[in-house]
Amino acid sequence: MVNLAEQINDVIWRTTGYHPATGVWVGARVVVDGFWGGTPPRSGRRGLAGVVAATTGGGGGGGFGPWAAGIVGGLLALSVYGVAVLFAFNVAQVFDTSVFWAQVTALLPKLLVAAFAVIVGFIVGDEAELVVQERLRSVKLPEASVLPRLVKYSIYYIAALIALAQVGVATTALLVLLTAYVFGVVLLAAVAFKDLLASGAAGIYLLLNQPYSIGDEVRVDDRRGIVQEMTIFVTHVEADGKEYIIPNSRVFRGGIVRIRE
Amino acid sequence: MSGMETVVEEIIADVDAVLLFSTDQSTYDRFEGDECPTIVVGTDNAVGAEVYVPLPLEFAQTSARVRFGIEGAIDQGLLEEDDEVVGLTQSFSESRLDTAVRVRADEFTHSGVYDLFVNSRADSEVVRDVLEVAIELGRKGQKGKPVGALFVVGDAGKVMNKSRPLSYNPFEKSHVDVGDPIVNVMLKEFSRLDGAFVISDGGKIVSAYRYLEPGAEGVDIPKGLGARHMAGGAITRDTNAVAIVLSESDGMVRAFKAGSLVLELDPEEY
Repeated sequence: MVNLAEQINDVIWRTTGYHPATGVWVGARVVVDGFWGGTPPRSGRRGLAGVVAATTGGGGGGGFGPWAAGIVGGLLALSVYGVAVLFAFNVAQVFDTSVFWAQVTALLPKLLVAAFAVIVGFIVGDEAELVVQERLRSVKLPEASVLPRLVKYSIYYIAALIALAQVGVATTALLVLLTAYVFGVVLLAAVAFKDLLASGAAGIYLLLNQPYSIGDEVRVDDRRGIVQEMTIFVTHVEADGKEYIIPNSRVFRGGIVRIRE
Repeated sequence: MSGMETVVEEIIADVDAVLLFSTDQSTYDRFEGDECPTIVVGTDNAVGAEVYVPLPLEFAQTSARVRFGIEGAIDQGLLEEDDEVVGLTQSFSESRLDTAVRVRADEFTHSGVYDLFVNSRADSEVVRDVLEVAIELGRKGQKGKPVGALFVVGDAGKVMNKSRPLSYNPFEKSHVDVGDPIVNVMLKEFSRLDGAFVISDGGKIVSAYRYLEPGAEGVDIPKGLGARHMAGGAITRDTNAVAIVLSESDGMVRAFKAGSLVLELDPEEY
């Protein structure tokens, strides 16, 4: 096999004056330029900072812009170049590449996926931060500004975890940390939103079926008055200049008396 | 040249406050740190100013804009009755300040329009949305024909108890709020129905087709207005609601609060 390759090399070397490895390299360039128009490697060199700056600066047009596509294209192009270089070394028989070759073919797709996960993580994280920030814009609490950043770094963390797992780094400890974090958040949310969720569930029933509506005189837990407003979480009942704001869960649990005369 | 400068200086001499009718950040920044207090007036506080007076509508006329700005500032306690103010606004240009107006704060009679928006039971945005629907309806009519309409906003529970249905309520078990563009179209379509629209404090449309039954005694509304205005005016005396009435005959939009007329607008001017 090696002999055959050497003979072919010899033939090409003698007839064209070029080493066949050069041909392989030129072929790779032609393939890449043909597919990506030669531009992706350039935008690829701008690196991740460029992508992030573009997504945050552009206000986030939603989804993947041309920047992200450029980066991914650049990565693919670079990997083709890398394979081509190795292939060229192989053809030129500079050193014995068979072992290295086997390792690279195993690692290269994983590296690609890892890089891809990091990029997607960055983009999604920034996008999520913007979305949450926009939602909380009317809340003028300084504490609320923590939330968007928390969301962003949580997404970064998960992306990094996926990338590390792809490359083969031991991530068990990080995974445990993530589990603890998620568990904590879920538990806190469940405790904090218990009453709201119960009221919301009752509110859905009340709004769909409307056992009472605005203008009806009702009594809930000794509070008698006219229903002024019904929302998904609370019912406003007004009597004698007092407006009771009653959680819907309470309306549901205690029952409601409609007063008809 | 010096004559003109004297005139301009006279206009801005010894003013107690500046009313800035602009939502341009760079313009606002130029006023920051001035000795004379700057009051930003607009439909929204886009520049994040500390001293801000909300305007209920985008008034096309400079005089109306200045007037409601001053009224709002007085109601908020930002101006005294005998203050001299300069209003900076745009009359012809869309983007650039081109007009300076000097007025005494007590030059206008107090109409209570600002009170209508800020101190009503209903949210000010709800009142504003309903007013916008009424103005649009007055300008375009319903399919080109002039229509009348009566919206009773706020204190819906009491209003419902002081009225009765004329027919089936098309808004029964539907949860729609004013301000939603689709709902505004619905409201316009339903405006050919007789009777009043009842809208809750939070902006939910509770009912259409309501016949209002308030006691009309002691309601002080100008003579010559019809039954619709009388009903609207009277219901606001008996309840804490605000009534916004579009007249079918003269096309004016009027608002009533506590039994009296507080605002009269010509829809064609907005």
